[in-house]
Amino acid sequence: MATATTGRKVTWGVLDLLVIAFALIPVLWILSLSFKTKDTLTDGSFWPQQWTLKNYADIFQTSEFLRALVNSIGIAIISTLIAVVFGTMAAYAIARLEFPGKRLLVGLSLLIAMFPQVSLVTPLFNIERGLGLFDTWPGLILPYITFALPLSIYTLSAFFREIPWELEKAAKMDGATPAQAFRKVIAPLAAPGVFTTAILVFILCWNDFLFAISLTSTTASRTVPAALSFFTGSSQFEDPTGQVSAAAVVITIPIIIFVLFFQRRIVAGLTSGAVKG
Amino acid sequence: MTVQNPSAATEPGVVDGHEVVSHRKSRPALSEGKRAERRLGLWLCAPAFIVMIAVTGYPIVYSIWLSLQRYDLRFPAQHEFIGFANYAAVLTNSYWWTSFGITMFLTVVSVAIEFVLGMALALLLHRTLVGRGLVRTVALIPYGIVTVVAAFSWYFAWTPKTGYLANALGSGAAPLTDQWPSLFIIILAEVWKTTPFMALLLMAGLALVPEDLLKAASMDGASAWQRFTKVMLPVMKPAILVALLFRTLDAFRIFDNIYVLTSGAQDTGSVSMMTYDNLVKGLNLGIGSTMAVLIFITVAIIAFLFIKVFGTAAPGSDDGGKR
Amino acid sequence: MGKKRLRGRSPARAGALLAAGLLTTGLLTACGGSSGLTINVYYSPEDHFQTVVDNCNKAAGGRYRIVYNKLQRGADDQRIQMARRLAAGDTSMDVLGLDVTWVSEFAEAGWAEEWTGQNKAKASAGVLQGPLETATYNGKLYAAPKNTNVQLLWYDDRITPNPPKTWDEMMQMSRQLKDAGKPYSIVFTGAQYEGLVVIYNTLVASLGGHILSDDGKSVVMDAGAVQALQLLKQVSSSGLTDPSLTNQKEDDVRQTFQRGDAAFELNWPFVYASYAEEKPKDLSHFKWAVYPEAKAGMPAKSTIGGFDLAVSTLSKHKPQAFEAALCLRSAENQKYSAINDGVPPTIESVYHDDTPVNPSEPASTANPNMAIKYPMRDTILEALKTAAVRPLSPAYQNASTVISKVLSPPSQIDPQQTAQTLREQLNDALQSKGVIP
Repeated sequence: MATATTGRKVTWGVLDLLVIAFALIPVLWILSLSFKTKDTLTDGSFWPQQWTLKNYADIFQTSEFLRALVNSIGIAIISTLIAVVFGTMAAYAIARLEFPGKRLLVGLSLLIAMFPQVSLVTPLFNIERGLGLFDTWPGLILPYITFALPLSIYTLSAFFREIPWELEKAAKMDGATPAQAFRKVIAPLAAPGVFTTAILVFILCWNDFLFAISLTSTTASRTVPAALSFFTGSSQFEDPTGQVSAAAVVITIPIIIFVLFFQRRIVAGLTSGAVKG
Repeated sequence: MTVQNPSAATEPGVVDGHEVVSHRKSRPALSEGKRAERRLGLWLCAPAFIVMIAVTGYPIVYSIWLSLQRYDLRFPAQHEFIGFANYAAVLTNSYWWTSFGITMFLTVVSVAIEFVLGMALALLLHRTLVGRGLVRTVALIPYGIVTVVAAFSWYFAWTPKTGYLANALGSGAAPLTDQWPSLFIIILAEVWKTTPFMALLLMAGLALVPEDLLKAASMDGASAWQRFTKVMLPVMKPAILVALLFRTLDAFRIFDNIYVLTSGAQDTGSVSMMTYDNLVKGLNLGIGSTMAVLIFITVAIIAFLFIKVFGTAAPGSDDGGKR
Repeated sequence: MGKKRLRGRSPARAGALLAAGLLTTGLLTACGGSSGLTINVYYSPEDHFQTVVDNCNKAAGGRYRIVYNKLQRGADDQRIQMARRLAAGDTSMDVLGLDVTWVSEFAEAGWAEEWTGQNKAKASAGVLQGPLETATYNGKLYAAPKNTNVQLLWYDDRITPNPPKTWDEMMQMSRQLKDAGKPYSIVFTGAQYEGLVVIYNTLVASLGGHILSDDGKSVVMDAGAVQALQLLKQVSSSGLTDPSLTNQKEDDVRQTFQRGDAAFELNWPFVYASYAEEKPKDLSHFKWAVYPEAKAGMPAKSTIGGFDLAVSTLSKHKPQAFEAALCLRSAENQKYSAINDGVPPTIESVYHDDTPVNPSEPASTANPNMAIKYPMRDTILEALKTAAVRPLSPAYQNASTVISKVLSPPSQIDPQQTAQTLREQLNDALQSKGVIP
């Protein structure tokens, strides 16, 4: 019996290791590239033979990457804030209120979740050109909010349905004002859902590439994913492999942090929104 | 007192502000409450609704209008209304159909592989006896990582001399310069990136499979495979269809991986890639919009097929009623 | 920053920038000057171009300050970057570094200002015929030729003491080298991009054929064009090219040869400067010759490349922009760029100028002149005399995209059929009706 359990544990362990290797190898590879020296970049070995931090020093010396990083962070945070606030409002209404047009909103969100982003690129390019929004932060924030809203509405309304709202009523009966009831009872219950949604939305915005390269043209609003393909290398005759890798690692850090610390929440958020509906 | 049903929320008196409104007016309380609730609901949804419509609805209508014009920014003098000529140009163009075929191929193959691997991963994440937290955490990395970053990682890995994978193929191998190897690498990159997401969606379905049902089947002498096909799959069907629908539509939009890996060279471009090229390289708003509309229609057809033919319950369509 | 970025933009844009820009202001302060007027030059990355810019800033004496904005490395990316900003009405670009094939397009779209009067006279004085032609569209001058370019055959005299005269000879030598187990491959730009079009255009011109009519308005694709397809296919499927032929752009080609993995390199002269820098010990064996003939007895017509400087029609400082552009391509600065970055001058007299960088000292490797840093100057001049200009059509970009697409991969060419496909698709492309692959 004991050996059978051990045997099964070993089997699971081996499978676990396979999954871990599969998931980590590409990440370790780009990490390794980012530490390789110029001369060993093309040696083809998986681990750096000579380690250097020069690639990181290089990207942080140019304003190009720094600006892109500021753009990425700023645009993703602003989009996330707005999408989560709007999403919370709408999700609350969907989860708790009866009103006409509810189905319309749910249907619209679903439609947008499936919407091919590329269909928006051409018209948005021309509209933003006319409005002067092309290559500005709002020019990217707007589409990001739009595509983040369905995600945030779905995830949040799933969370909100799980909240025992009668507690609010009970608190009011005990003499709490509506504001107190909300602050002391509902807000703490809703906060984890809102926070989880914010993480998912941030990842979505952080990840975008298509809008970022189509609706920007300068460092004024170009985000890191788009900037990666603009790296020129420190000399005309040198491929920017090392710098691209270093920049790629830098923008992967927040993702790794989210995954490490909020794994449970991300899993809960992704599964609740999409399946429980 | 546990309220799972959202309709309980419609109970008057729960909504903030309800009392205020009902005191001010002397209409029957219930109807007044309902009206206040409606108003609040509409107000709460308005910002989300307006943004979504303004950023997608209007541009789509606008792109239909653009698609009926000859509109190349490099030939400003030739801007004119030309009816459906752009559609004729695109629909009779062999490149369009090639990239359409490639997109379909990539979609079907990568979603099929992701489904099989995702199901295996979901079972593993759900059942594993050791290191569940660790595996779940690590498996989330591909989901979270920026697609372009992952794409660069694959790109460098398959670049001759630089990459460990290209070198493993032997010297002189340059897989990203041929159509089939390139497509294989694009699929690999897609599968790597999205299998965890597929697995999570399927895992949510797995959680709905009652343990005692599996136990009972086991008692009746059903093999593991039989338990999987006869007990688990039927229960999971709604979750599976939703996962497939989402991933299919997502895969159809493939752009980032192709942009980095091949830029669409050697007939590896997707329809998204082609639309981008016609807009950004060609600055041809007419042709670009025509493609945008055609892609939109295709996606609508795919969604329709899933929902009507396979009976996928679109999430949210029945307000959480299904479990 | 503020001042420069916001100037001349629409109120909506300014508002949007203000609304969103709070976070970036700190970083943007780096650009824009205290001395007021800034002339923004957008030009491809050239290692020592900043020195040229500095020279011109000195010459401007504080009236304006030129800022060199480096574009990406890829030609397509550079063009997209500028075209997109101009289409969006960006007024912050003053001088545009245009690849010779974009001038017609930018002129037709109304993005490049015409050069007239004094400026025109200065921009064309002493300029070689071919390069000047690339800056002209419909008989008007739209840019000042900055540098020209023409591909040569590069080889290592330890592998092949005498360069081949024709493509047939080159393939024959390559095959012998392969059998002898030596570096043998013929490397050229075979990736699906402009570089492949350059090779094809050279072959077509060398065989006396035409892809488009001289006015760039109709498709010709005559016998020479078909023979060129045949030759391109023959070379690409001979097993004598690099395995990654279909992924190689200029710099990959340069690296392949420099690593010692090839016997023959067809490339622009910039390869000499980088070879000198990275493999100085072997430099004496790095040799060059005019492009091999496609047909014995007919001198090859190598495709002209290079850059022209145009002034944006949206620029707010056109007079200064013209002046800056003229300075950046002055004879003195062209010589500097030729010596330091390996880009061939457009002004003929520069080729014969043997004054070293520092005229007060004798010429040496530390104080080079054209003869030391640019020993292939006579070969370049010779090649330029017979060189071929790519079709001057505003739809060139479409045509080129179609050509590179149809020719990829070159080993799969079927001369007759490929020619027919090209005829049909080029026709659509020229009218900007069709789909860009």
